[in-house]
Amino acid sequence: MNPHRYALFPGCLMPTEQYALELSVRATLPALGIELVDLPGLSCCGEPMKSVNQTLTLYLSARSLAIAEKNHLSFFAPCPQCHLALHETNIILQKNPAMMDRINDMLKAEDLHYTGTTKIVHTVDLLHDIIGLETIKKHVKHPLTGLKLVVHYGCQTIRPKELGRPDDSENPQKVEEILKTLGADPITDYPQKLDCCGAPLLPNKPETALTKTGQKLQAIQDLGAAGVVDLCPWCHKMLDSRQSKAGETVAAKLDLPVLYLTQLLGVAIGIDPTKLGLDLNLSPVHKLNLTGDKP
Amino acid sequence: MTITDLTSMGEPQADVRAEINERLKRLQHHASDYCYQCAKCTSGCEAHKLLELEPHKIVALLKRGHITELTNNDVIWTCMTCLKCRERCPQQVAPVEILFAAKNLAVQNGKELPGKYTAMLQSILGTGLLQEIQTVTTTKNTTTTRDQLCLPPLSLPTDITKFQASIMAIAMQKP
Amino acid sequence: MRKIGVFICHCGINIAQNVDVEALTKYAATLPNVTVAENYKYMCSDNGARLIKDNIKKHALDIVVIAACSPRMHETFFRDLLTEGGANPYRLEIINIREQCSWVHQDKTTATDKAKALLRSGIAKAQYHEPLTPSHVAVIPEALVIGAGIAGIQASLDLANDGFKVHLVDQEPTIGGHMAQLDKTFPTLDCAACILTPKMAEVANHKNIELLTYSHLQSVEGSIGNYTIKITKKPRYIDTIKCTGCGDCATACRLKDRIPSEFNEHMGNRSATYMPFPQAVPLKYTIDPHKCLYLTKGKCGDEPLCKKACAQDAIQFDQQPETIERKVGTIIVATGYDLLDPTALYELGYHHQQDVITTLELERLISSSGPTKGEILRPSNKQPPKSVTFILCVGSRDETQCTWCCRIGCMTALKQIYLLREKLPDIEINLCYQDVRSYGKGYEEFYRKIRAVNTNLFRGRPSEIRPKGDALTMDVFDTTTNKLYEIKTDLAILVPAMVPRHNATELARLLRLTLSGDGFFLEAHPKLRPMDTFVAGVFIAGCCQGPKDIQDTVAQASGAASRAATILSKKELEIDPMIAWVDEDACTGCGICVDICPYDARTINEKNRIAEVNAALCTGCGGCVAACPSNASIHKNYTKKQLLNMVDNIM
Repeated sequence: MNPHRYALFPGCLMPTEQYALELSVRATLPALGIELVDLPGLSCCGEPMKSVNQTLTLYLSARSLAIAEKNHLSFFAPCPQCHLALHETNIILQKNPAMMDRINDMLKAEDLHYTGTTKIVHTVDLLHDIIGLETIKKHVKHPLTGLKLVVHYGCQTIRPKELGRPDDSENPQKVEEILKTLGADPITDYPQKLDCCGAPLLPNKPETALTKTGQKLQAIQDLGAAGVVDLCPWCHKMLDSRQSKAGETVAAKLDLPVLYLTQLLGVAIGIDPTKLGLDLNLSPVHKLNLTGDKP
Repeated sequence: MTITDLTSMGEPQADVRAEINERLKRLQHHASDYCYQCAKCTSGCEAHKLLELEPHKIVALLKRGHITELTNNDVIWTCMTCLKCRERCPQQVAPVEILFAAKNLAVQNGKELPGKYTAMLQSILGTGLLQEIQTVTTTKNTTTTRDQLCLPPLSLPTDITKFQASIMAIAMQKP
Repeated sequence: MRKIGVFICHCGINIAQNVDVEALTKYAATLPNVTVAENYKYMCSDNGARLIKDNIKKHALDIVVIAACSPRMHETFFRDLLTEGGANPYRLEIINIREQCSWVHQDKTTATDKAKALLRSGIAKAQYHEPLTPSHVAVIPEALVIGAGIAGIQASLDLANDGFKVHLVDQEPTIGGHMAQLDKTFPTLDCAACILTPKMAEVANHKNIELLTYSHLQSVEGSIGNYTIKITKKPRYIDTIKCTGCGDCATACRLKDRIPSEFNEHMGNRSATYMPFPQAVPLKYTIDPHKCLYLTKGKCGDEPLCKKACAQDAIQFDQQPETIERKVGTIIVATGYDLLDPTALYELGYHHQQDVITTLELERLISSSGPTKGEILRPSNKQPPKSVTFILCVGSRDETQCTWCCRIGCMTALKQIYLLREKLPDIEINLCYQDVRSYGKGYEEFYRKIRAVNTNLFRGRPSEIRPKGDALTMDVFDTTTNKLYEIKTDLAILVPAMVPRHNATELARLLRLTLSGDGFFLEAHPKLRPMDTFVAGVFIAGCCQGPKDIQDTVAQASGAASRAATILSKKELEIDPMIAWVDEDACTGCGICVDICPYDARTINEKNRIAEVNAALCTGCGGCVAACPSNASIHKNYTKKQLLNMVDNIM
């Protein structure tokens, strides 16, 4: 098994709406030696349905895990919520054989079976731990010189620590380290760093969700940061696509560039900017002058 | 020997509480019994300031067995699942997971799903994903969609009928 | 012709309810060599004792079998009865028909049958009991006390005043431990130094106490009554006989005020040559070998300034560690505690916010001999705070950190609130608590006082502490008013968990001590033997056994001294003879028993290649008996013949 060959787990939001994430992932990772395989038959990871029926969540995750297992591949899940769902499902099924049997009973209807061996990685795992900072450094062609960015880790990338997450729950620094390798000068800590973007409340409390987003963006803007780097399509949906709405909700003029880590990575390692979906970011990314073009 | 809550004149529903604790244990979570009401969860709750959710109170209600009061309350749907309560609880109780269990129980007992949850559920049932391919705006003020961006076709359940049958079966089961 | 007496106890209804004791007695009388069989309600009572003794004398019994509760309860008591009656105390067999029979079965018929089987097999074993004589080991009337905090000091003084010689060892350059770092003690607000330093001086001047500071334990060999200890004295690089404690070296030192002071919990600095605090005992300076330029780099400018400044010519850079040997009869461990580093609860900001400090760090600020001379100043800007917030239980009662309560946290915070109120009458003082444990004498009354000095009490734990401007902010939900409060504060005081010393495990290995689940030293019984350990002759006292305050520490220290004195006051100790014994004809000198023995009680005699048992160390665990391939290792009055007999009689 090629240790750098992964089945892509797209989830729901990325393939249907957050195209910039998928574009930048598909453009940058192969340049760094990662082979991405598209498996047919996948579905939602089930995490957004956890409030409705947790067994449904387990089932939805398990069926995709079973497909990966059948193909002898590990999953690469760019969305941290998918990553958490798949990972937690693994743990629950491994620790509770009765539950595993029950799920497998249901999987029979789709001719699937799962034994619990599929591994799942996230973008941070891939970049920081598997590819490694040394390798990334070698690929940097256009350093993001001195850009004072802040990182919005979101919730599922770092919590809950007991399940094992891509980065530390109280002082995550892996993305800052990646950004430094890319030449940026990130602000490594700020009081609201670990706060949620509000996305999970979109289904039933959208105004509150936008308030949360607005509050965090306002705080980051007051810091004097040049822009925000995020990892999760839900976070990005709030911080980027809904930035102006969030600004209206908290009565603030928000004007922060927000980019996916993989978009910045792409720019730094010299990927053709048109392949990174930069024109899909609704926040003022042009302020960072990443492509050297005039705004 | 009885305990009566004088506000609601209700008695604790010990059997339902036991069932919820059982369910939590099956999902590898610690029993709510250990909570000692330090309120660290509520102090850090991201949903508290805006929506008045009090995770420690949710745990207290479960401990005492006021399940119906819990499941009938709309506040349980305000949890932002930021997971800070689960991360920082000194007794390894996870109020967020108790809230998931309460929401599941509410749905099981026939509560109507708030907001867009029904639409999301129906979409998963129909296609396997939360929503359909969206058309998005670009900075150049044009619109585009997945196919136009030359991304490969979606990965969806190969036999949608079998998939739907499985999902429907889950809805019929006891969690 | 053996004469066996069988005595069956009812133990009230504990045994009699489920075992037919009358039937059992009748049955006993039918067994081989049984001269008399009696039963009584309470064998351990006066009447029961008399029953046994009288029967021994009347029938000239040589072996006694008692069917009753576990031998752990009354073995010593019953053995004494045999002695008083004129029989050998080691020809006693106790059969447990309570814990192992009546307490675990409900059906009287089957329980009685089982009791009969147990009795039958016990009597079969007892047939071959031999009369044994205990051996004796001479007791050296000297004690080793490890750790010279208040616990070690108290224990040493008690033993020294009893007339025993005490060797008091501490790894620091001074005695006094953590108590020396405190400003005041709760609840009386006694000045800690004022009550401690007289005892420290007494220790220094006592003719029976040898003070070995800046030293550590190298090795411990031997057993109760006769330990051989090796102690290594670390070099101070200063001749302690010449040193007058004047301090000129520290004033002259090139690194003056550049090295964080451990005694001041890094709230202030010291020189490379230092005395931890002005009332140190002994009043001598020490040069830090990890920081001194001359010792680490081989040169200090043109010449070491301390050497130049010392009028007594006491600086001695070529000093070497010195290992000495002492022989003692008992050991008391009083090594104290450490505090949890609150970095473990990263969200409270201890690691990266200067104004988030621990109670011990605050104590050094409060102390008039501390780094700020008793002025309360924020570490970030050296200004007095306008608002101070205490947070209890940082790392305590926490399943992810320390599961236990630190016992002193609540009272320490209350004490410090009182002292802050005295120094800064108008500032805002907040306390975030979950419970306030003010359990001791005068503690609750003290808590009442604190409630009256304008203290803002919030019942709830904050989730995180973040910077806000040049101050700190935290949200805390108060369960008493059901409101969320945002507290903007200048100084946050964390009350950390109390943890075992970082080198406790090493010490445990040297002394063969067991640790309890929380890492503190394990006492032999939490209620009845809190100072004893499972190693005979080694006692523990103070916080090294578990968190406690100063008065409980002193009480325990005196208790440990008394336990030690029980041994030291004897000329010799009796060693239980029911231990391993070597059949010299069968022994091949293979040495398997030496490797097996967990107590280092076995050696091979080099001259005749026969195994030997150190009676003082052997605990009679039976490991060597099972391991010996030649059947040469025999357990007295627990022989294979006896055990096989038991098995035959049960089947």
